[in-house]
Amino acid sequence: MINLFGYIGRAALARAREVSSVWSLIIYALSAAFTGMKRGRRVVVDVFFRQVYFTGYEAVPIISWIALILGFVVVAQALSILPGLGGESLVGKILVWVVIREAGPVFAAVIVIARSGTAIAAELGSMKIGRELTALELMGIDPVRYLVAPRIIGTAVSVMVLTFCFEAVSIVGGFVLAGFGGSVTFHAYFASLLEAMGLLDIAVSLLKSAVFGLIIGAVCSYQGLLVRKSITQIPQVTTRAVMRSLTSVFFLDAVITSIFYM
Amino acid sequence: MPALVELTNVYAYSGDGRLLFEDVNLSLGNGEKVFLAAPLGSGKSLFLNWLAGVERPDKGTVRVLGHDISVLDAGALNALRCRLGLIIKDNALISNLKVIENCALPLLYHTDMPHDEAMKKARSLLDSTGFTGDPWELPGPLPNYAKKQIAIARSLALDPEIIICENLGDGLTSGERARLFELILGYHAGAGSRLLLVTSTDKFDAAFVKPDRVLRIENNRITEDGASA
Repeated sequence: MINLFGYIGRAALARAREVSSVWSLIIYALSAAFTGMKRGRRVVVDVFFRQVYFTGYEAVPIISWIALILGFVVVAQALSILPGLGGESLVGKILVWVVIREAGPVFAAVIVIARSGTAIAAELGSMKIGRELTALELMGIDPVRYLVAPRIIGTAVSVMVLTFCFEAVSIVGGFVLAGFGGSVTFHAYFASLLEAMGLLDIAVSLLKSAVFGLIIGAVCSYQGLLVRKSITQIPQVTTRAVMRSLTSVFFLDAVITSIFYM
Repeated sequence: MPALVELTNVYAYSGDGRLLFEDVNLSLGNGEKVFLAAPLGSGKSLFLNWLAGVERPDKGTVRVLGHDISVLDAGALNALRCRLGLIIKDNALISNLKVIENCALPLLYHTDMPHDEAMKKARSLLDSTGFTGDPWELPGPLPNYAKKQIAIARSLALDPEIIICENLGDGLTSGERARLFELILGYHAGAGSRLLLVTSTDKFDAAFVKPDRVLRIENNRITEDGASA
């Protein structure tokens, strides 16, 4: 029994240390990116734009498809239940509750983890093995400022943009279905949507997406930097980056939801 | 000659307390060509890490370009590293940057040189090394010799006061070694008074370098052979 408690205690301490390191990395990366911006600004900004291009821009088609299908499914389910209850006008509210408050930020985060989180961990791990981080350091370039900070900030910006994209496409997809189905009028659909959607919903959605983006970028970068000497560590850290990012995103989603909606 | 690198009473121990260096005293001056021959695992990398300020000795002082590396903060260390041209043994080119971007990186990061001018200078440095490949390709698939040419061009971008070549000849044919050392020596001779430090696991590389001083790592100390051809 004592051994079990010892094991749990050690695991909890190790996880707490890891969480602390990830948040330290976020703080260090943000401060490194925004202080002393004169030196190396253009190359850091270039890495940032590349990250936004790969993580945000290139994910727009896939996220749009998923959003369209989800909007379709949510509206279809709502329309199958609400007429019996005489509340077709509730369909917009359901979209806000499901898509804006929860699905938008979470789906965007999950897609970014799958597409880019893995890439960040694998790329940094492979650069570490190839001593590229050492080479940067020897050139007087801080690897965290040049490689990690723009990846973390770029991922956060990308998740925010993709969340907005996901929500817009879901709402439009829902409307297209409602329009074709003919059971809800255009006016009723958008009136219900606008009535249900408050500034708080938009603000919380943005907050969630920003926090998810920061944490994904930091967790995946941190795992990539853990690679020491062997190339066989790269798939290990990549898998761990995905699992840790997913856990963090769902946990933070629950925390933010309980703060603002409970 | 004023000392560019000065080690005084330096001691170093491994993590398990084993003695690595003992009472190292060394002074390397302006304009010198220094050759350090030592087998793998003898502590050459640790010595180079001291010069770059990546590691600090357990005891003693390491002064580079007049600065005690033990007391420099991160910003000052980065500024110092800009004055060193380090060509490390496995080239370590940035894999997601094109060849020319690798060479231009120090210029774009550390100077206000306009982008086009930095690219032009990077191209001219690459040409000066005899690089004949496509500067707009990624360096990953290139042969070792081409990677070394790119690493040399990159290390010279900021016009360094100390040039350090770590095992430059590793994995190259005799002809390739001769061409690369000729290139480095040409730069050293043409760029005025600078310190050139070449390390190698192969003592015969000294024939290419024609050093003013030959150093060895023996019995945890850095010893000197004296002047050499």
